[in-house]
Amino acid sequence: MPFQAISKLIICFASYPHAPSALVAKARGGSVSENIRVITLMARSGLEVQQAAVKALFLREIKTRFGKYRLGYLWAIMEPAAHLLILLAVFGFIMHRTMPDISFPVFLLNGIIPYFIFSNIATRSIGAIEANQGLFNYRPVKPIDTIISRVILEVVIYILVYVVLMTSVGLLGEQFSLVNIITLSMTWALLVIFSFGIGLIFMVVGNAFPETEKFLPIIIKPLYFVSCIMFPLHAIPKDYWSYLLWNPIVHVVELSRESVVAGYITEGVSLNYLAIVSLTILFLGLSLYRIREEAMLTS
Amino acid sequence: MIKIKNLTKSYRTPKGRHYVFKNLNIELPENKSIALIGRNGAGKSTLLRMIGGIDRPDKGEIITNKTISWPVGLSGGFQGSLTGRENVKFVARLYAKKNDLNDKIKFVEDFAELGKYFDMPIKTYSSGMRSRLGFGLSMAFKFDYYLVDEVTAVGDARFKNKCAELFNEKKLESNFLMVSHSLASLGQYCSAAILIKKDNIVEYFDDIDEAISEYKENESL
Repeated sequence: MPFQAISKLIICFASYPHAPSALVAKARGGSVSENIRVITLMARSGLEVQQAAVKALFLREIKTRFGKYRLGYLWAIMEPAAHLLILLAVFGFIMHRTMPDISFPVFLLNGIIPYFIFSNIATRSIGAIEANQGLFNYRPVKPIDTIISRVILEVVIYILVYVVLMTSVGLLGEQFSLVNIITLSMTWALLVIFSFGIGLIFMVVGNAFPETEKFLPIIIKPLYFVSCIMFPLHAIPKDYWSYLLWNPIVHVVELSRESVVAGYITEGVSLNYLAIVSLTILFLGLSLYRIREEAMLTS
Repeated sequence: MIKIKNLTKSYRTPKGRHYVFKNLNIELPENKSIALIGRNGAGKSTLLRMIGGIDRPDKGEIITNKTISWPVGLSGGFQGSLTGRENVKFVARLYAKKNDLNDKIKFVEDFAELGKYFDMPIKTYSSGMRSRLGFGLSMAFKFDYYLVDEVTAVGDARFKNKCAELFNEKKLESNFLMVSHSLASLGQYCSAAILIKKDNIVEYFDDIDEAISEYKENESL
């Protein structure tokens, strides 16, 4: 299961805060820093504790969001699917938008689903510490676990939505083929890493400067319009590409389209660029988290 | 053993930093239940939370090889829209092995005596029901130390008795770190005490009665 592989990967990356009897270095406000020794509970390894925490948070989250409805977890998929179907209906069938080299629904789905994954993770991470304050009373729960479980939840939901909707539009006669499933998986995996890194950064920044809660979401929103979701990159004059291509989401979106439609070719995007940006952001996020973890748990 | 080394804790206030503890050094001996005594705002709960690893000191370290509970009866971690059972399940997933999950849930269900309410969202609970659930949840897990912050007065008279019974049972194999304004109940469960006096002075007493009498003297009771 790719999901398990991805989550394992994330957990590997993130495992250090839970290292058994770890010496967690602590620095507050750049002042004197000393060590605090944390002894793991119940003689479990750090990784086991973290896995338990992530799993518990994941199940709690999914239950809180969808448990109260009839049809229950089906809503996890139906809600975003309905959202997307309405967008498809508005743009595709009412406005009759068409593209020469790609079916419009396929075009839109491959743009909007990656964007939703990113923006959902990023926006919800900003207030993560405050929203989960009560949970940090339970020692096995670390701030990073709340982000990891959130990332896994969003990714699972949207991958299912993607599969369901792509199959549906396929059955309705839209043309696409999985020409390059390896590129597609790599692209999405990097998207997940990128979103996770941004989530960590936003969590740390949002906790250090609560004011950012007001304007970070405003920065994310316009990304919708410059991430090639409603238009293909080649519809933009080449002179402006250099600006658009800074945005890793553009690479994700265009690479996804390229991987599912044989005739759709985008110059300018590169899996390498996406990989470098994602891994840099992940590194930055983990470092910031590492520095600020203790401070985030200090009242 | 819990060893506190060079611990400093302060809060930022509009009038400058307020130091609760400055270079605190204390060693809590093994197998003793310890009361934390001091006036309001002296830092009893803060110390308790730091020992439990929920709050962090500015400087210094707390070294222990014991397992320490979250504050007993805590209900801040509950999610209001989830049922009692689901909230218990969440905590059990954090602390218990997979095969123990059902035992823990069963224990809390039996102990809290919430009946049908155990499967109702927590936001429908009365405050007494909430604290019964919180209390039962803490008691479902075995820790070397239980942190107790003013919960000896949970629920109605019958439930109080039940709690006292369970506390006495737990006392056989675990210890308490206890904060309470009822000096009588401290004396009942604890044998030693930490007295937090004025000007961040903290003193350990092997005998709780000595601590209580000094506390009374200081406060001119």
